[in-house]
Amino acid sequence: MNNMNSTTQRDAFWDTLYEMAHEDKSIVVVTADMGAPALDKFRKDYPSQFVNVGIAEQNGILVAAGLALTGKKVFAYAIAPFITLRCLEQIRVNDAIMKIPINIVGVGAGFGYQDSGPTHHIIEDIAVIRSMPNVQIQSVSDSVMAAAMPKLCCQLSTTRYIRLDRLILPALYDEGADFSNGFAVLKEGSVYVVATGSMVHVALEVSGRLEKENFRLGVIDAYQIPLSLNLTDILKTTKRVITLEEHFLPGGLGSAVCELLQDQEVNIPVKRIGITHQKQYCYDYGGRDAIRKYYDIDPDSVFLKIKEYLA
Amino acid sequence: MIAKIEDLKNKAVEIRKRMLEMCIKAETGHVTSSLSCIDLLVVLYYSGHMHHDPRNPEWSERDRFILSKGQASPALYTILADCGYFSEKDLDSFAQPGGKFGVHLQDSVPGIEITSGSLGQGFGTAAGMALGAKMDRDLHLVFTLLGDGECYEGSIWETAMFAAHNRLNNLIAIVDRNYLCVTDFTENLIELEPMKSKWESFGWDVTWINGHSMEEFMTALNSVRSRRSSRPLAIIADTVKGEGVESLCYNPLWHGIAPKGAAAIRAMSEFERRFCGYE
Repeated sequence: MNNMNSTTQRDAFWDTLYEMAHEDKSIVVVTADMGAPALDKFRKDYPSQFVNVGIAEQNGILVAAGLALTGKKVFAYAIAPFITLRCLEQIRVNDAIMKIPINIVGVGAGFGYQDSGPTHHIIEDIAVIRSMPNVQIQSVSDSVMAAAMPKLCCQLSTTRYIRLDRLILPALYDEGADFSNGFAVLKEGSVYVVATGSMVHVALEVSGRLEKENFRLGVIDAYQIPLSLNLTDILKTTKRVITLEEHFLPGGLGSAVCELLQDQEVNIPVKRIGITHQKQYCYDYGGRDAIRKYYDIDPDSVFLKIKEYLA
Repeated sequence: MIAKIEDLKNKAVEIRKRMLEMCIKAETGHVTSSLSCIDLLVVLYYSGHMHHDPRNPEWSERDRFILSKGQASPALYTILADCGYFSEKDLDSFAQPGGKFGVHLQDSVPGIEITSGSLGQGFGTAAGMALGAKMDRDLHLVFTLLGDGECYEGSIWETAMFAAHNRLNNLIAIVDRNYLCVTDFTENLIELEPMKSKWESFGWDVTWINGHSMEEFMTALNSVRSRRSSRPLAIIADTVKGEGVESLCYNPLWHGIAPKGAAAIRAMSEFERRFCGYE
């Protein structure tokens, strides 16, 4: 499809920003001592637009807000749990309450940090961030989308949390795809699975397997939260909806879909597949696949769950 | 602008009185935290050391003032009204239904740069603004007023390190050192001393003054635009929480509230006795 099959989301993201920063001197990166090969280039070529605050995310968000008040387009960057939860109150006061627009770039959505353990996993961020107004989540599912994000971020005057995966995922989109819609129907079907981030890939794999058994499971990539109201138009044509996320179930994507449908009085049953609180935090090693198996959200488990649900 | 020190002192009396009346009427507001910093704020807003224009709050060349200890909002609101940023009538509806502002600082009020109340945050935002000004080669200064109790917040020291490392000599942090926190004196609670060497060790130039001496504060501010140092400047101002009303001083129980009933009458009476020479 394109070279985005071999590019990490963060490199795709920073490469685009690098190009933009050449023309637009108001673009500033604030990193909490987090790097990326593409960011090294940025630091070397645009040192005056690069600020390293050290491993101090709270100050990072505050400095980002202060810079934004002087007219800068700021991208604050760290590992996802630390740039969201560690400095949550700073985000709440500066971005949700005061509406100072910044871009919060977190890498390592879900179990992207694999064997680093639960301190580095992030399976609460969607619930926590979406509980506040004025902060929009971009849950990125491939590197094409990651590359498109910086331009999208600079167009809007609200804060965005860009949730990047750490691992290289196959490209789902053609270069130049438009991501202003908030979601994409990747495959049409009589029943849809609404997934986000890396789980969109699991959804597609499961859909492929079901197709061999003569069932067409539609797949929707919900890459923007709050969810678009237009998503209802598609879901209400079906008799049931499945959601899929690498995130705790309370407050996550599945909850958001239930709220969307209920608030518009669309009464369709929703089957949420994600991480239950019963299974708590995970110290299993052996990579993302092993962790997903522990939580029953690996492709095999999801396939069986959906098959059973549809039977 | 007020040139004579006696007139500045009279202004501080006037602001204290108006602030007390406002909070007593509203039955809320952090009165003692406001009283400790009024002398500092009067010097900043009336002596000409801090550049601002009440007729043009968004003036791009204004010095930025960030009240990081947002609970002292009654002091700042009273001063901004007096300067003409908004009508003095708005003070009458402080923290009341339909009022334009309440107990903690609100960025929607003319002359206010940020919302604050969550301690430790305004300082970091001020550092970001100072860095932004450096990037744009803007010459304005960023002043911020911190509470000493606020210095318990870890992010204060993240910012202190950051500001020194980035040579933010356009950032001036004034620490309202009133030695009282919410439930106790700071040195009983968790020792904040040695405050001066703490800031110095974080890479700041430090001046230690009597925060109720306008002369000392103005001396500290005199060279603020022509300092040869690349370091940010901390002015540690020793103050009394409740300064001006004896019965409100030296007692942590007065934190975060306004005197009511007999206590309010006593407070106003003590204030009149101290500053106006009659009972």
